[in-house]
Amino acid sequence: MISIKDLTVRYGNREILHDISMDIVDGAWTCLVGPNGAGKTTLLKALLGTCEYSGSITDNNEEVFRNHNRNVAFVPQNPHIPAGMTVAEYVMLGRSKRDGWGNESLSSRTFIADILQQTQLYGMQGQHVSQLSGGETQRALIARALAQEPTLILLDEPTSALDLHHQISVLNDIEILKERGVTVVSTMHDITLAAMYAQYISIIHDGRVTLTGPSETVIHSPQLRDAFDNRINVFTLESGRPVIVADKAINERGIPQTEA
Amino acid sequence: MSPISRIWNWRITVGAAVLLVAIALLAVSIGPIPISFSSILRTLLGLHHGLNGEQRTLVLDLRLPRVILAALVGAALSCSGAVYQTVFRNPLADPYLLGAASGAGLGATLAITASHGNVYGLLPIFSFVGGILAVLTSFFISGRFFAEPNTLLLSGIAVGSFATAVQTFIQQRHSDALRPVYSWILGELTAASWQVVSWSAFYILLAISTMVFISKKLDGLMLSDEEAFSLGINPHRLRIIAVLAATLATATAVSASGLIGFVGIVVPHLVRGITRRVTNRSLLTIALVGAAFLVLADLGARTLLSPAELPIGVITAFVGAPFFLFVLRNKRVSYS
Repeated sequence: MISIKDLTVRYGNREILHDISMDIVDGAWTCLVGPNGAGKTTLLKALLGTCEYSGSITDNNEEVFRNHNRNVAFVPQNPHIPAGMTVAEYVMLGRSKRDGWGNESLSSRTFIADILQQTQLYGMQGQHVSQLSGGETQRALIARALAQEPTLILLDEPTSALDLHHQISVLNDIEILKERGVTVVSTMHDITLAAMYAQYISIIHDGRVTLTGPSETVIHSPQLRDAFDNRINVFTLESGRPVIVADKAINERGIPQTEA
Repeated sequence: MSPISRIWNWRITVGAAVLLVAIALLAVSIGPIPISFSSILRTLLGLHHGLNGEQRTLVLDLRLPRVILAALVGAALSCSGAVYQTVFRNPLADPYLLGAASGAGLGATLAITASHGNVYGLLPIFSFVGGILAVLTSFFISGRFFAEPNTLLLSGIAVGSFATAVQTFIQQRHSDALRPVYSWILGELTAASWQVVSWSAFYILLAISTMVFISKKLDGLMLSDEEAFSLGINPHRLRIIAVLAATLATATAVSASGLIGFVGIVVPHLVRGITRRVTNRSLLTIALVGAAFLVLADLGARTLLSPAELPIGVITAFVGAPFFLFVLRNKRVSYS
C-alpha cells in the first residue's frame, strides 16, 4: 500500500500541495480528479519520487523519493517523442530496467511482440512514433509501461486530446495492467469516464485532497461540485451509471434525467 | 507471431571498423610518393621486406601519425556531436555548442599573438584550457549545475559569443596574427606528430570509452526526466557525465587540429539515417565512421591541390554538405 502523510510540495515560494494525507489501495485504480492547476500532476510526480517534498510517501514502507528500488511506470501528458525512433525501439525501452539496458534477448523481443499485439500496435513496429496518431501514440506509451511490468503505473491525463473511440481503447489497455495486479493512479479530466473505470476517486482542489473514497461515493458527494465551483451536475442513467455534465449545457438542453 | 527484430546489430559496428581500416590504409598509401598496401602492411607488422630509408620515415613519421590524428579527431567530434544531440534533445546540436569552440579559439588566438609565430608550443594547451573554461563557465552561469538543458544551451551560446568578441578584438589589434589564426580556425592536421597523437589519443580514447560505456542508458535521456527516472536512470547525473566526456573529447580534438566543422552534425545523422536507428548504441559506429570520414577528408585536403594543402574544414563542408542533403532528402531514411 502507498501511504501519503502530511505531504507538502513547494516550487520556490509557491506551495503546490498542502498537507495531503491519503492511502492508495494496491491493485486498484485510483483516479485524481480536479480542475487544472489543482496539483494533480505534482502529486503524480511526488508518487514517482522525482519531486522534492516534505512529509512522507511510503510504498511498502519504503520512502519513495529518488528511490530506484521500485518499478514504477510513468506516462506523461506531453511525452518527449524522440525523432526517428521506431515503435519497437520505443516500447523496448520499457524492458531496460528489468533486463538491463541494451538487452535484446529473444525472450525479451518475443515479450515485446506480445505486448504490441495486445495494444494493437503489432505491424506498426517499424513506424516512427512521431508519425503515429494521437491514439496510437498513447497506446505506444501504455505498451512501454506494459513492457516495464511495473507494480505501479502513474498516468497523467491518458485520454486528453483523444476522441471517444480512442479514449475507450486506451482505457481498456490500462485495464489490462490493472487485471495483472498493477496499482494504477491516473489523473483524468473526464469525471464520467473516471467513475466508469476507477474504483477510487480522490478530489484535489487547490492543492488539497478534499475527499477520497470509492468512486460511487465520491461522484455523488457535494465536495465534487465544490471542487468545480458548482459548475457541474451529476445525473444517474437508468443503468445506474453516473454522468457528469457542465451546468450551463444542462440549462440549455434540459437533459431529461433524474438528478441523483 | 514472430519476435520483433533486433534494435541494434553489432555487425554494423564491425563493418564500420573494417571501413576505417581500409580507408586508413588507403590514406597512408596515397601521396606524392605512392606506396603499396603490401609494403605498408609488412612495415606495420614488422615483417620481412618492409620499407626502408626515406619511405619508411615517410610512412611511420609523417603519414601514419597524421592519419591516426585525423581518425582520433573525427571520432571525437562525431561521437560528442551525437551525445550532445541526445542530451539536449536537439538534432542540430554540435560539439561546439557550449562555447568549446569559441573558448578554444580565444585560447589559440592568445597563444598565437603571445608567442609571435612560435605557435605550436603553446597553442594546444591554450586552446584546450580555453575550451574547457568556456564550457565550465556555461555550466556555472546556467545555475543549479545543469538542472535544465535549455538554460545550459543558452548560456553556452552567450559564453561563445563573448569569447568570440574578445577573440576578434585581440585579432584586430594584432594584424600579423590574422593569417595563422584564420588557418587554425579552418582546421589543419599539418602539425600531426607522434607527440600530438599520444596526448590527444589518451584524452580522446578516455572520453569516447566513457561515452560508449554509458551509451545504452543515454537512450533514456531522449525521454522526459520523469520517464528516464522511472526506467532506473538518474537523468541529471547521466547528463553531467555525458556532457563532460563529450566536452573533453571536443576540447582535445580542437586543440590538436583547430576547428573542423560539420563532422559533429553530419556523421551522427548519416549513421542514424543509413541504419534507420536513433539508439545511442550506435555511438561506437558513429565514432568509427567519423574517424573514416575525417581520414578521407584529410586525404582530399593534402592531395587535391598537391603540393598545396586545402584546409580540411573546407573539404568536410564541401563534400559533407551535399552528401548530408542527399541523405536528408532520401525518403527511405527520413526521420522527421
